[in-house]
Amino acid sequence: MAAEKSLAMVLRTVEFSESSYVATLFTEDFGKITALAKGARRRKSAFESALDLLSVSRVVFLSKSSDSLDLLTEARLEKAFRSSQKELSRFYAALYIIELVNLMTDNRDPHPELFRTTVRCIGRLDQGAPIAPHVLKFELAILRHLGHLPALHACSECSRAVPDAARMAFGIWNGGVLCNSCKIGKRKVVSLSLPALQLLRSWSEPEPETTNDTDWSLPQFDTEWTKVAGEVRGLMNQYLCDTLGRRPQLFDFLGFH
Amino acid sequence: MAHLTESVVRVIDEFAKLPGIGRKSAERLAYHVLRVSASEALALADAIRDVKQNVRYCKNCFHLAEQNECDICRDPRRNQSQICVVEQPRDVLQLETSGAYSGLYHVLLGRISPLDGIGPDQLTIDSLVDRVKHGTVREIILATNPTVEGDGTALHISNRLAEYPVEITQLARGITTGSVLEFANKEILADALSGRRKF
Ligand SMILES: [Zn+2]
Ligand SMILES: [Zn+2]
Repeated sequence: MAAEKSLAMVLRTVEFSESSYVATLFTEDFGKITALAKGARRRKSAFESALDLLSVSRVVFLSKSSDSLDLLTEARLEKAFRSSQKELSRFYAALYIIELVNLMTDNRDPHPELFRTTVRCIGRLDQGAPIAPHVLKFELAILRHLGHLPALHACSECSRAVPDAARMAFGIWNGGVLCNSCKIGKRKVVSLSLPALQLLRSWSEPEPETTNDTDWSLPQFDTEWTKVAGEVRGLMNQYLCDTLGRRPQLFDFLGFH
Repeated sequence: MAHLTESVVRVIDEFAKLPGIGRKSAERLAYHVLRVSASEALALADAIRDVKQNVRYCKNCFHLAEQNECDICRDPRRNQSQICVVEQPRDVLQLETSGAYSGLYHVLLGRISPLDGIGPDQLTIDSLVDRVKHGTVREIILATNPTVEGDGTALHISNRLAEYPVEITQLARGITTGSVLEFANKEILADALSGRRKF
């Protein structure tokens, strides 16, 4: 039973007993873990506010070998999420980000880069960054990290390059753009404008890891974005529901249809 | 456990369903029930039956009540111009032990918890708005837990009440962010009440 240390983001907490929580944590070094925090619900517990949702905390846990829960022995708050005191839509957007992380990652499957992307995104949302484009950026980032990014250049069916046209066919079930011959007879195909597709292409490129946490300026957030925002949102809603096999809880709270 | 009779197994099973009671404790409780006199054991059964038959939510504030209205709502000495909004009945009990508050309450019966699919509509917020609309309330004290979900719930309520002429205040943060009201001691709660600030 080794003691492991990592930075972690709190994805879920469930009351386990009068005094304890079961916390689902997305750790930087070990991926998602589920750990029992004994005494965490008591006042002056060693955990204080380190186990509140969306908190970034430094945790120490005893890793159990079998299927049983890990045991959280320490959690020190590094950064709390404050926007739920100021703006509900920011709170909902941040919860949506961690809902995606929880739905899409597996226990003990480390994704340190995705962890840092998640922390950066939540931090930017908390600091007042525009919500819709940051949510989309994150969706594309998590899809890319976990290998679910749709095909945006070559045909998702025959892998041949698809020439740019004013409107492009995008197969939700096929997982990306379709060439003229492959789109025939396919179901769940949406027509996407070229500017919308170009935005998806450029925003799904990885962001340099050196980016400062407080720097949320993203040059693309101009008219180019606002013109296609509705179209891209509609496509992403369908694509994500299909990829996840379910509708995220936060869709209703964010007004995603 | 082949030698245990069917009714003993049943009582163990029922005890084991209680929060925080494992199999071992459930067995210990069952043996206790077997050992004590019939009247003592049946007093527990009666108490459980009574609480389920007689206790309901107060029609005004959703605190636990044995009639349509709870003891607090029926008490004419309570200040009718203040409503303290809490998540759970147990928070009312906790605030009452502080002795620092003499107004009325409103129990939300939860908090906005989107990851569990719980939105504002599943809480008693509409009734609170009605009380503000039709009553004599001048101050709403938001005493949801100082967690991200509790804060979000408080913010939602203050948005809903913005159009009404009530003062909205919030408990001071003597209580550590992320902790829960239920476990705060009475001095801290009294301080939080007296130091409450405008939302
Ligand atoms: Zn093709
Ligand atoms: Zn009442």
